[in-house]
Amino acid sequence: MTAEMAVEIQGLHKSFGRVHALRGLDLAAPVGQVTGFLGPNGSGKTTTIRVLLGLLRSDAGTASLLGGDPWTDAVRLHRDLAYVPGDVTLWPNLTGGETIDILCRLSGPLEPERKRTMLERFDLDPTKKARAYSKGNRQKVALVAALASRAPLLLLDEPTSGLDPIMEAAFQESIREVKAEGRSVLLSSHIFTEVETLADRVVIIREGETVESGTLADLRHLTRTQVTTVLDSGADALAALPGVHDLSTEDGHTSFAVDDDALPAVLAEVARLKPRSLVASPPSLEDLFLRHYDDELAAVHHGGAR
Amino acid sequence: MSTRVDAAARPEQPRRPDHPDRRAPGASRHRPPADGLAGLRASIGFMVRRNRVRLGVWFLVVVGLFAYIARYFGDVFTTQESLDDFAAISDNPGIKALTGLAAAPDTLGGAVWTKIWMTCAVALALGIVFLVTRNGRADEELGRTELLRSRMLGNHARAVAAWTVLATLSLAIGLAVAVASIALGLDPDDAGTTGSWVLGASLAGVGLVALGVGALVGQLASTSRGANALGSIVVVGFYVLRMIGDLGDGALTWASPFGWGQEMAPWGANRWWPFGLMVLLTAVLLAAAWLIEERRDHGAGLLPDRAGRSDAPARYASPLGLALRLQRGPLIGWSIAIVLSAMLFGSVAEEMTDLLDDAGDSMAAILQGAGIDELLGLLAGMIALLTAVFAVQSATQLRADEASGIVEAQLAGALSRTRWALMRLVIPAVGSLVLLAVGGALLGLGYGATIDDSSQTMRLMGAALAYWPAVTVVAGLAVALFGYLPRLAIALSWGAVGALWMVMVIGDALNLPDWALAVLPFSATPTLPAESMDWTPLVVMTIVGVGLAWAGIARFARRDVALS
Repeated sequence: MTAEMAVEIQGLHKSFGRVHALRGLDLAAPVGQVTGFLGPNGSGKTTTIRVLLGLLRSDAGTASLLGGDPWTDAVRLHRDLAYVPGDVTLWPNLTGGETIDILCRLSGPLEPERKRTMLERFDLDPTKKARAYSKGNRQKVALVAALASRAPLLLLDEPTSGLDPIMEAAFQESIREVKAEGRSVLLSSHIFTEVETLADRVVIIREGETVESGTLADLRHLTRTQVTTVLDSGADALAALPGVHDLSTEDGHTSFAVDDDALPAVLAEVARLKPRSLVASPPSLEDLFLRHYDDELAAVHHGGAR
Repeated sequence: MSTRVDAAARPEQPRRPDHPDRRAPGASRHRPPADGLAGLRASIGFMVRRNRVRLGVWFLVVVGLFAYIARYFGDVFTTQESLDDFAAISDNPGIKALTGLAAAPDTLGGAVWTKIWMTCAVALALGIVFLVTRNGRADEELGRTELLRSRMLGNHARAVAAWTVLATLSLAIGLAVAVASIALGLDPDDAGTTGSWVLGASLAGVGLVALGVGALVGQLASTSRGANALGSIVVVGFYVLRMIGDLGDGALTWASPFGWGQEMAPWGANRWWPFGLMVLLTAVLLAAAWLIEERRDHGAGLLPDRAGRSDAPARYASPLGLALRLQRGPLIGWSIAIVLSAMLFGSVAEEMTDLLDDAGDSMAAILQGAGIDELLGLLAGMIALLTAVFAVQSATQLRADEASGIVEAQLAGALSRTRWALMRLVIPAVGSLVLLAVGGALLGLGYGATIDDSSQTMRLMGAALAYWPAVTVVAGLAVALFGYLPRLAIALSWGAVGALWMVMVIGDALNLPDWALAVLPFSATPTLPAESMDWTPLVVMTIVGVGLAWAGIARFARRDVALS
């Protein structure tokens, strides 16, 4: 176990009856970084987080959290951990403020000042009973409870799925503060812009298996850059260059994708053709993600075409 | 650095098993999580804060009920002759079946015991089971415990907190009952206070066993509904075992914790050791719950969810069709419960006949007719009471569906609220008719077979069906409450059922005026076959029941839909 890893999972398996939820999942979240955890619904994100919380026992593989065993050392490890579930259920007859205090006191001293700051930042009324909160406000209760702590590791399971854009901004600000303090975050999400903005590293899973992991820059290297240019002539010649894919011309705009290592040579060739404009964009996280789901995407389009 | 993850590309890692069902080396050994009790104190505080009203209510109900009867009997039975008379009247099959007979029935304490001990014990047992579920499986099912467990909370902390608080509640109730018994002078003059202490301990012991039952069923079932149903079945099962035991040779009484409490025999033999038996059983049940909780996944019961069908039949589009599907489990459960009870009751009646036959003389022969008919009427009434519980459970589903928000999806479709509610109410209306008919017929069949009289089937079916208007009033009340007081509807409906049950068991001691008994649905129903048929109350009750339901539906059609 290396001390630089806040979370390290190797070959994790978990079945529920006949459902095989995790099939050899690998995940590493370095200390002091924000690790984005991406996967579609039902791919095993929440199961993974529940294993990390010591709520589920893994069938095979290893998982370590802050250097400890999440199942046997759960209580000790939870002193240094804050968690926000994706679907927050609260005790209907307790107020939001009471709930936050109960949660915070279970992991150490409550810091009223931090609690007040977070309540203001997320514009949450702590005197309302939980039954009167909307979904977004219930989520804010869990967020305030987690962010009011100084826990070295935050496990966030789609923490912003019920928040409006203003609250999303407040969340992003909070996560940047957490990172600036050298704390670690595991952020499960399928909001690509959020992960792209916040995450240092990304892990993409599919059907309980890790299909991609690394820094965003590294992942982009593995894929192609999309180039759009306006050329007076010679566009067809580009198609023959090594590393150029899917070339098409429409209304004078020529678009194609370039393998990362072929980019310098191709751009030199484009420059020789005297382009009137040129846009080169690295692949978005969404492109990276969808690359692993080509077949499912095809199924969606097929279903839509019927 | 970027990693294309691939098992083969990571030679430095230990090879992991390819088959998921084979555990990694060492994983099959049981590794209990450390600090299972961390956060226990905070959990106890939380448990008390969240349940302060309920804990107080159960305490007051059990202790208050006992103290009320003790005081009332103290005023009524001022002479030994009156106590002897009461003991003689109580010594009949009906009382033995319903409440059991005190060990020393001719003392004041014994009279109070006969009247109220079993009621207090059953109420306490059910209350404890429901409280365990509310603070255990219900929170886990809803995902609230997950939030707490992400903090420094051991995996047993919440359960053990609930056990601590509820064991304390049981002991406090036992203590308070003993103190009330001493204060109200239930102990005979020369006997000291031992009887009172034995009495208190017997109730506390029942509470502890119920705690063990609740804890274990909360580990077995994966839903709070399942846990409560399973727990109630066990408690009712204990009650029925005791009932058959008391009517027979007493052997089965010893198979039931209620029987153990009974056999502590306050003011009679004054035995302490059955209390030890109850504590021992509690310890075993709690240990089993602990071991299961240590091994299972959070949120899981014993059985994993199975895959269901991918398409719904067209009938689910109607509120009735959907409700029948959603209430399928309870419907099957209630049918089984009624059938089993009716068959059991039939065999009980048979044993009583044998007993009276053995007496042989002409006096017993004269008594036999009246005694048996009264017992049969009582058993039909118990079937009706079970049916009323079913009807109220089904009727309160209207409010449950509204509170959870499920109804919004249905009402968003082309469906009027009136139609929705009416169709849903077909289930309690028709269901209770069927359950009463089947229950009464089986009771008659069982009894008729022993005395070789096949006409008993129709006779007792009629006796049970006579309760249909009374059941309708209770269910109608639940619907009216749903319309006018949605937030209190479920609690008040069950309160009404509890009150009816109480009136049936201890009616006369409540000293209710005749007019009050006349308007209470179950006492207003003629006790066939012991009494003669009287159509007037039945017609009136049917009108009242339907009227209440109609008023409730009409109100629901006009008011706001209120979530919980």
